[in-house]
Amino acid sequence: MTERPNYDDMVRQALMRGLTQRRVTRRDLFKYAGVGAGSLSLASILAACSVKGAKKTEPTGPTTLPETAGKVDIANWPLYIDKEGKNAAGVVKGGTVADFEKATGIDTRYVETINDNEEFFGTDIRSQLGSDQPTGWDIITMTDWMIAKLIDLGFLEKLHHDKLPNVTANIQDAFVNPWFDPNNEHSFPWAAGLTGIGYDRNKTGRDIDSIEDLFDPAFEGKIGMFSEMRDTYNFIFFKMGIDPVTATEEDVAEATTILEQQRPLVRGYYGNDYTDQLAAGNVWLTMAWSGDLFALQLGQADDQDLRWILPKEGGNRWSDNMAIPILAEHPADAHDWMNFVYDPKIATQITEWVWYESPVKGVQEMIAEDGKDHPNMALLAEDQFVWPSAEVLANTAPYKRLDSAEEAVWQDHFDRVVLG
Amino acid sequence: MAVVAPTVAQPSAQPPARRSPRVRWIAYLLLAPGLGWLFLFWLWPSIQMFITSLQTGTYAEGYTFTGNVGIYRDVLAAYPEQLFRSLVYALIVTVACLAIGYPLAYAIAMRAGRWKNAILFMVILPFFVSYIIRTLSWKFILADDGIFLGTLKSIGLLPDDAQIVNTTSAVLGGLIYNFLPFMVLPLFVSLDKIDPSLLEAAGDLYSNKRSTFLRVTLPLSLPGLLAGSLLTFIPVAGDFINAELLGNPNTTMLGNVIQVQMLEHNDYPTGAAISFILMAAILIGVFVYAKLLGTEELTG
Repeated sequence: MTERPNYDDMVRQALMRGLTQRRVTRRDLFKYAGVGAGSLSLASILAACSVKGAKKTEPTGPTTLPETAGKVDIANWPLYIDKEGKNAAGVVKGGTVADFEKATGIDTRYVETINDNEEFFGTDIRSQLGSDQPTGWDIITMTDWMIAKLIDLGFLEKLHHDKLPNVTANIQDAFVNPWFDPNNEHSFPWAAGLTGIGYDRNKTGRDIDSIEDLFDPAFEGKIGMFSEMRDTYNFIFFKMGIDPVTATEEDVAEATTILEQQRPLVRGYYGNDYTDQLAAGNVWLTMAWSGDLFALQLGQADDQDLRWILPKEGGNRWSDNMAIPILAEHPADAHDWMNFVYDPKIATQITEWVWYESPVKGVQEMIAEDGKDHPNMALLAEDQFVWPSAEVLANTAPYKRLDSAEEAVWQDHFDRVVLG
Repeated sequence: MAVVAPTVAQPSAQPPARRSPRVRWIAYLLLAPGLGWLFLFWLWPSIQMFITSLQTGTYAEGYTFTGNVGIYRDVLAAYPEQLFRSLVYALIVTVACLAIGYPLAYAIAMRAGRWKNAILFMVILPFFVSYIIRTLSWKFILADDGIFLGTLKSIGLLPDDAQIVNTTSAVLGGLIYNFLPFMVLPLFVSLDKIDPSLLEAAGDLYSNKRSTFLRVTLPLSLPGLLAGSLLTFIPVAGDFINAELLGNPNTTMLGNVIQVQMLEHNDYPTGAAISFILMAAILIGVFVYAKLLGTEELTG
């Protein structure tokens, strides 16, 4: 049998404790609250949760170059180098990369991983750069406006021009001291090109010559536009008859309305993957970067007739530039690579494959020389879009340089378009 | 914990059974890893995400807390279609998976006999290939000039501009394909554990097949139905892979918006606010659903 507890006793004891023990006074309460607040107040939690600014106020990393490490990791865009055999991991071996390895003994990992400037920055390198970690890349190849943004954030190493004799000797004058990187302190161009329209003549059934063609309801669901905000807005500015470099917020709002009206016709907003879409026949006409189409033509199917044009309203003029992200692990080897590809012979080898303008002096002449034996190379040497004349360039515009506040406003507008 | 002492002793009342303190201590200890996990990987990130959503600033200069509650209004005003689309897609996919998955699970559990394990294995088989690769494969197989449509077009069965990829149906199809096993497996488990003698008993009581199903099988499979629906609805509502790979600009889901804001624009407050809105919308949906089916079924 269990013994029944005596409840009367229990109540009595509780009452006694209440009357006799020291109770927490109001003053104590304030005291304890103060101690607690010091260690775990709402304000301190909020402060701990704030996200530090990514911008670097002082340079990170050494100011002198270390020794060559015998290894280099390079990130570049697809269809941007000659390659004889890309291995299963997408690592390019052969062609220029093999020549570089042979000449320098540097183990080279060259990967065609960049599809879109924002995407690469956002998903591949941003978090490392923001938290002072190496990105895993020694060379990244970014479009001019992204270089400007990376410089503003303090994310790029300063280049050692004395380690780049080929570059300083062979760079074309037009590429020296560009608008996005004064005195080429952080970058040198890999290649330059134009944004125009690529299309399959057999699918469209007619010649394309205007930005208006991207608004033709006959091509509903077969039109591609770019997810690169600046490229796409520039096109609409041309259509509106505005110089992109002077575009205002009102212009952007108007361009956004135009893009929203166009959206039902658009298959997708693409990065460099527009080339796959065009090759697969998913899009018939799309915004396109000049050189890609020449590379695609080499591999086009029998029933395809891929072409590229600069719209009569205008097109975009840009360059992609090699730069070294801060805390890169093999910066000396990265300099060696930059120097190597500015050898006119090597630059010719690359250009004959990629069909984008080379920033290296003498390349056009050397390609013309090869053209005596190879008709394709003769075409390349004379192509008015690979080597844009002053007349062609007059019908092009670069991107507007946006500060971060302006960029945020543009981005909000553009999101309304691409995010449906 | 605190034993409420009645003021008047009731001689007949049994005192509450008191567990030994050691048993209670062990119970908490066993719960601790689970609770710790929830705190560390759910509650704390959620709190942090909520605080982030109320910050303002830029990526370059950093984000600081300003209690900017207005962001929720702004985000809702900017992306109502995507929110609506995510929930509607999730609903359609859940219903479709149920329509396909229930007969399938029923057949496996009740009629497959010695093939039961083999068929179950086939349901799980796609999981051996990465989710993204599987979705990407559809994109290639169904491309406008791909092996499927291209062939049909070249023999003249389809017009030249026919397409499947980058349509709403492609996104829904991809989602249904990818999430079907999440519906089938819990349904199978609850159908499989139904005691056959219960069905025989129903027959003995002159119930026909239809009413046996409606009054015995279906109610007994409700726990699996609820679990399967939740396992489908919740991830589908937050999915962005299918809309990204198989969709077009008019099929964007809220997951895509979160992905772009967080990873491409580095606009953490906006991304966090959208995540919270999605979470709230899903929670409301789940509560309504659980109430309709009866919460006691949750535990089976």
